[in-house]
Amino acid sequence: MSDEHRAPSRLKSRIYSALVQRQAQDGPLLGLTEVKAHGQKLCVFEELVQVSPVGDSLKRTNYCRVCHARVMGENIEDAPVYWSGCPYAQFQNR
Amino acid sequence: MCAGAAGLANTISGLIGKHHTGYRWTVDSTHETMPGCDPSVAADLALVTAVLQRDRKATAEFVESYADAIYAFVRRRLTPRYDLVDDVVQDVFLAAWESLSKFRGTSPLKAWLLGIARHKVEDHYRKLLRAADQLDTEVVEVLPAAKVDLEQIADQERTEQRARAVLEDLPEQYSAALQWRYWEKRSARQMAEATGRTEKGIERLLSRARDEFRRRWTE
Repeated sequence: MSDEHRAPSRLKSRIYSALVQRQAQDGPLLGLTEVKAHGQKLCVFEELVQVSPVGDSLKRTNYCRVCHARVMGENIEDAPVYWSGCPYAQFQNR
Repeated sequence: MCAGAAGLANTISGLIGKHHTGYRWTVDSTHETMPGCDPSVAADLALVTAVLQRDRKATAEFVESYADAIYAFVRRRLTPRYDLVDDVVQDVFLAAWESLSKFRGTSPLKAWLLGIARHKVEDHYRKLLRAADQLDTEVVEVLPAAKVDLEQIADQERTEQRARAVLEDLPEQYSAALQWRYWEKRSARQMAEATGRTEKGIERLLSRARDEFRRRWTE
């Protein structure tokens, strides 16, 4: 697919942020423990929360909302975000 | 369609084996071999179920998998209003989230999303054409019978690019009217019903748009 027809990474980032925000408004997100149990990779920050002895509600929080990777992903095309398990790294067209 | 897929969206994860390998949703071999069950439909349903469970990683996969297709679809149809494309694409995904629980796997998830995108694009056309009475009629130049078959042009891949370039230069309402009529294959009656205008009014608009298109095509 030519670059003209690929969605910009900034757009994908904004869509993801908006979707997860809408999901969080509609109800609690799936907990990080369950997400990991589904075989999916957490980012380093989510991993820390997941192994911490904190309540279930904290494991359902959308931490991307306060992460600088989100800010870079939404504002910089092909942002230098490389963390494994980070959705904003996944969206980069490189 | 996967046998019994309707209604499975909320329970599919309990019925099929689902695992995640390198950000691709797949189903296990027992489900793939179920008679009449398309593995891609099962994978779609598994992804939809995970998104409905508000699984953030599945949501990322949902965006990554379909944003390119939706973006390309919308961009081509909003020519020349590229500035609107991002907002429309985002609206498509948010609308998809609102009605995702209704996805039954009767068609591929991509086709289902493109259906939503088509509605969003038509909303744009509708708004534009409702305001089209305000067009400056000075821009209309009727040419003598230089025959250009727009239907044929739309079907010919080799002329598509040139047609797009001409559409980009047309007044926005003309461009939208022609794309809606000839690329989306809507009748003047359907366009009239959607915009609240008379069929005659739409035909007049299309006539002016065709004349202008023809003039620019042949110059």
